[in-house]
Amino acid sequence: MKRYVYINDDNLAKDIYCDNRISNRKYTILNFLPKNLWEQFSRFMNQYFLLIACLQLWSLITPVNPASTWGPLILIFAVSSSKEAWDDYNRYLLDKKANEKEIWIVRQGIRKLIQAQDICIGNIVWLRENDEVPCDLLLLGTADPQGFCYVETAALDGETDLKTRSIPSACMGIDVDLLHKIKGVIECPSPNKDIRRFDANMRLFPPFLDNDIFPLTIKNTLLQSCYLRNTEWACGVAVYTGNQTKLGMCRGIAEPKLTAVDAMIDKLTGAVFVFQIVVVIVLGIAGNVFKDKQGRKLWYVQYPKEGPWYELLVIPLRFELLCSIMIPISIKVSLDLAKSLYAKFIDWDVEMVDPETGIRSNAANQAISEDLGQVEYILTDKTGTLTENKMIFKRCCISGRFYGNESGDALTAKVGQFHTRHYPKMKKPLYVLLLVCAWFWRIKTEIFLILTSMHLQCNMKYLTLWSSHLTGKECLWWLGNAKAGNFSSCQKEQMKLFFLLPILIVSGQQVRTFAEAVEQYAQMGLRTLCLAWRKLEEDEYQEWTSMFKEANSTLVDRERRVAEVCQRLERDFEILGVAAIEDRLQEGVPETIEILRKAGINFWMLTGDKMSTAIQIALSCNFVSPEPKGQILIIDGKTEDEVCRSLDRVLLTTRITESESKQDVAFVVDGWALEIALKHYRKPFTELAILSRTAICCRVTPSQKAQLVELLKLCDYRTLAIGDGGNDVRMIQQADIGVGISGREGLQAARAADYSIGKFRFLKRLILVHGRYSYNRTAFLSQYSFYKSFLICFIQIFFSFISGVSGTSLFNTVSLMAYNVFYTSVPVLFSVLDKDLSERTVMQHPQILFDCQSGRLLNPSTFAGWFGRSLFHAIVVFVITIHSYAFEKSVMEEVAMVAVSGCIWLQAFVVALETNSFTIFQHLAIWGNLVGFYAINWIVSSIPTSGMYTIMFRLCEQPSYWITMILIVATGMCPVLALKYLRYTYRPSRINLLQQSERLGGPILSSGIIEPKSRSSLDKDIPTDSVYEPLLSESPSATRRSAGPTQRLDSVQSQSPPHSTHTRKDN
Amino acid sequence: MSFSDGASKSSSKSSTKPTYSRFTQQELPACKPILTPALVMATFIVIGITFIPIGLSHLSASENVVELVDQYDEVCIPADSPDPDVVYSKRIGYIQDETTDKTCIRTLIVPKKMKQPIFVYYQLDQFYQNHRRYVKSRNDEQYRDPSASAKTTNCEPEAQLSEGQPIVPCGLIAWSLFNDTYTLSRNDVALPINKKGIAWESDRTHKFGDNVYSKNFQNRSLIGGGKLIDNIPLNQQEDLLVWMRTAALPNFRKLYGRIETDLEVNEIIKVVIQNNYNTYSFNGKKKLVISTTTWIGGKNDFLGMVYIIVGGVCLLIALVFITVYLIKPRPLGDPSYLSWNKNPASVQ
Repeated sequence: MKRYVYINDDNLAKDIYCDNRISNRKYTILNFLPKNLWEQFSRFMNQYFLLIACLQLWSLITPVNPASTWGPLILIFAVSSSKEAWDDYNRYLLDKKANEKEIWIVRQGIRKLIQAQDICIGNIVWLRENDEVPCDLLLLGTADPQGFCYVETAALDGETDLKTRSIPSACMGIDVDLLHKIKGVIECPSPNKDIRRFDANMRLFPPFLDNDIFPLTIKNTLLQSCYLRNTEWACGVAVYTGNQTKLGMCRGIAEPKLTAVDAMIDKLTGAVFVFQIVVVIVLGIAGNVFKDKQGRKLWYVQYPKEGPWYELLVIPLRFELLCSIMIPISIKVSLDLAKSLYAKFIDWDVEMVDPETGIRSNAANQAISEDLGQVEYILTDKTGTLTENKMIFKRCCISGRFYGNESGDALTAKVGQFHTRHYPKMKKPLYVLLLVCAWFWRIKTEIFLILTSMHLQCNMKYLTLWSSHLTGKECLWWLGNAKAGNFSSCQKEQMKLFFLLPILIVSGQQVRTFAEAVEQYAQMGLRTLCLAWRKLEEDEYQEWTSMFKEANSTLVDRERRVAEVCQRLERDFEILGVAAIEDRLQEGVPETIEILRKAGINFWMLTGDKMSTAIQIALSCNFVSPEPKGQILIIDGKTEDEVCRSLDRVLLTTRITESESKQDVAFVVDGWALEIALKHYRKPFTELAILSRTAICCRVTPSQKAQLVELLKLCDYRTLAIGDGGNDVRMIQQADIGVGISGREGLQAARAADYSIGKFRFLKRLILVHGRYSYNRTAFLSQYSFYKSFLICFIQIFFSFISGVSGTSLFNTVSLMAYNVFYTSVPVLFSVLDKDLSERTVMQHPQILFDCQSGRLLNPSTFAGWFGRSLFHAIVVFVITIHSYAFEKSVMEEVAMVAVSGCIWLQAFVVALETNSFTIFQHLAIWGNLVGFYAINWIVSSIPTSGMYTIMFRLCEQPSYWITMILIVATGMCPVLALKYLRYTYRPSRINLLQQSERLGGPILSSGIIEPKSRSSLDKDIPTDSVYEPLLSESPSATRRSAGPTQRLDSVQSQSPPHSTHTRKDN
Repeated sequence: MSFSDGASKSSSKSSTKPTYSRFTQQELPACKPILTPALVMATFIVIGITFIPIGLSHLSASENVVELVDQYDEVCIPADSPDPDVVYSKRIGYIQDETTDKTCIRTLIVPKKMKQPIFVYYQLDQFYQNHRRYVKSRNDEQYRDPSASAKTTNCEPEAQLSEGQPIVPCGLIAWSLFNDTYTLSRNDVALPINKKGIAWESDRTHKFGDNVYSKNFQNRSLIGGGKLIDNIPLNQQEDLLVWMRTAALPNFRKLYGRIETDLEVNEIIKVVIQNNYNTYSFNGKKKLVISTTTWIGGKNDFLGMVYIIVGGVCLLIALVFITVYLIKPRPLGDPSYLSWNKNPASVQ
């Protein structure tokens, strides 16, 4: 699929391609209502409520006024529709602003000012400095004589540094005035979302140039939403417009994530629905039987002799409506409100503000906070996530000599001195190489320091890289046209730098030294760079250049062909030296990982780094305990057989150690072996993944990261992926929870993520505090919502047995509606402020997270408990009401109000009993709600036309009313209190124990044991006679970064002798 | 590499610190009670020792109520046959025959001195005033507003005559108005029953209009219960008002009138009953109840009994808790019970 763009052709392209009107809107005015309603009604709960509401319009079967369902339903729909509409309107405004921006383009050879939405494919667009690019442009000319311009791509990929863009060679040297008249054709792919590739070519029509086809790359483009910087002007031809630009294609609505809690609630709702159907069928049959046996004898009811055909259905349908309150309509609203408050608490948390940058945590996805409390696996990126992503040039090895020591970062100057003194000849190539490599690593400041120290005057702007190419971890940079004076000596030299993979080292004494250096640096956890160079002769260079050009202009399979061409040059290198760069661990990383591991969360590290570096980092941040407690098993191999054998061996060892549970086993796998394992040995690998607490995956690609997340998700684990760079985006989107670190690699990950935080260490607070509280609160809120609905529904069911199974509603419309929407929703909403344990206690005893992970607070058995409680309370309310308001007091309206008040009183005490910490808001909500209940009913009772006129006043005057209320509360709550007390004292849960110790002031000293993580053992306590030993050492010095490097090195070396199970290949 | 929908999600990376408040940091001062043994035991003891006296006083109040109950439906109908089906049809034939004299005389003996005011109720058992067809069959607007006499929504099947004239008051409830009458006499001296003010005042003033008159009532072929007097406004026919306060339970009492003299112990009261109302179709019972009241209302032992039971059980629970606590004390918040501390090696 290709598209041909004719430059400056006003007539041709208009009809074929879309104009530049951007539209991010989901709806139009016309389709808003149907589309929005359709979306809302695709949810089962909403369909259910709609069905109920429609049934209620049939007055023959409706027990109460239809308003009791329609009111809340319309309210809920109105709220979510208006939220959608408001969002869409804001998007429309933004689009409008972008569409109506005035842009200079060329029409009929004249520059004209038009609105951005009128740009067509093939138009030449002129931009000035700091202008936003209105559509995807192919650069034709810039103010810079060399044909360069600078763009800021932050809106596109989040990277904040300026990127260089250059005009295609074909347009080089065309006069500014002639640019108006340029004609040609661009052959480019159909619109796609790949922002890193633009494999196209261009042919200019005479008189501009001959018929040569010129290759175009992404380097020649200005993409929509970028900003032109440091360049006076630039012009380009529009190749993609409107929603077909790279940015537009990238836009997409991410799949909404469903939390485990939501899934559980949906499941429970389904169960309740089935129960409701059963109740309806039973009562329906009973009703029809009663009607035939008894009902027809009740002359005062006047049953007609012959009913319509649907007569048998009438009573079951009435009961369906009567029981419809069993599924609380308020639960959705309550949960949505609670969830948005959880998210707000995360946004507001001052303890999760990065003190360096002031970036605060942000919950972009408001709906999944509970899942944070149920995380079982954390998959983390290394660079920038665990580490600071601040590259510090630490050590180097030049010609077999090692430079740099433990003392710190200020090595560069020293190296410089050493270097200048001992190897003056090597100086320049090495530093130029370093400079180039620094460009790649984006650590300009650091390198500028070096340059200054070396008195090299260099303006980065002129260090022009006219071609760059990157495959995997191999990096080829061509340095040409180095303009600054001091670089003149290397002007004609073409130099190459690549990351030396250990495999590439063949033989030779000198090479071995470097190989050792690489290995040694890697074991220190440093990133290593091998620097090598070779002189090129002029003709060799020319020959190669033409080949490269040819390869670079192919449309098909360009990457592979370029790689092939590059290979030709990569030979006979002279190794200059090895540079090691340290990427320090972020503050608090080991502690965070230790705490989270104690909380039973399994860590997987997925990194692009090489194995030894990854292992070293893993050791230093408490991923794995050092030997002898920790064991690292390596899966490797180049062929299927090797991988298979290796995998089996590791699996066997893991099984044995797992059954003994003495050791902390981690497996290490590299990208290649992982590819094979995932493709051919998925089953054993999955088993290993389940068994192993820790895994280190090195040299993995972004898609492999996502695959691993998928693997764990398929095993039904809750996964959290955390990363900071663009290569983590897929993993972040794939995982149940994606956390992005707003780091140096830009905001790309943070934007794609559900949560963004400034530093890795905030993760523990995010999970242990916010996640845990959210889970606990939602667990209570949702089950309580069902409890109160059951309570009132059971009373209705019981009442039907004394009203001739005819489906009479005991309660009137106002009470029913207010009960669900107001009386019982308000007090419980404030349970979002409830804290069962203080944050400090949770941090001290992260193991308490097990309760959330295993879903102990919300599962069918806790739900059954609430179900039983509501049944018991319904019996209490009903029996006491009908006996104390019997005979001459048995007036329908009064009995109904007594029952409702009984429910309100009971639920206030239930909420109070289940609340762990009362703030002023909870007191206000719980007791204020009671006052509110009476106030509302008194108001309704003073309206003469209401059915309830004077009822509440009459009741409140009677002593027996209050006596009944007290009796209902005491009878309902005493057994609950007694059971709770017994469990609390004699079978306390871990939460109870910690509560007791926290509030009675007795310190609980928790030892740092990690409990076995396997699912089955989560639910049973460890037997006291078990042989579990602490797996993580209590002394941090052995593993932490704070220890001196010498010691670290020692510990590394003590680690490195191959373990019996190591299958690492020795170099 | 997939590129996210980065631009559509706006992440507000405000570099300003979030404003600190105790609410936003979830650090509001909170009272965190826990269930200490002392608190729980105290609660149960307090409940126990307050509930038993309340229950006792309630019981004694209930004891002080003097109540005379006489079930007359069986005895006030002449049908003696061994076959229940015959009895059933005979009884229905009797009660539906408008020409028969249905007078029935009962004598009651006052068991205790009854102080005025003494209330006279009729009690119906197995009468479903709360039946869905029945309870909805009314139109309050018609009863209240003289101009709304044509409004008979919900009143089916007693809404209109076949010619279309609306029935006032419409609906099954009004149509089935209870129409047994009682005449009391003591020592051959008539004992007047005051039937004024038996309905709720609010019903008389607001629910039923003072210039709404019954129309076309009981004029259909099917005659239900009692009739109304067409030239007396509805709100003065208090029997109707009382009847229209539907009962929530199938066994209910409704106020018939008040006796405003004291009745002495062992006095014999002769009751002349007009046994008009049909409860025989559905085997319902009819009772005449003469009762005094106290602060709890009529006789009701239930509340007092339950109070005493609940109070007793609470004391018992408290006792059990205290015993268990003394026999097997268990310190709260003992760290050795934490499962991750159950390791002998680590608890030192």
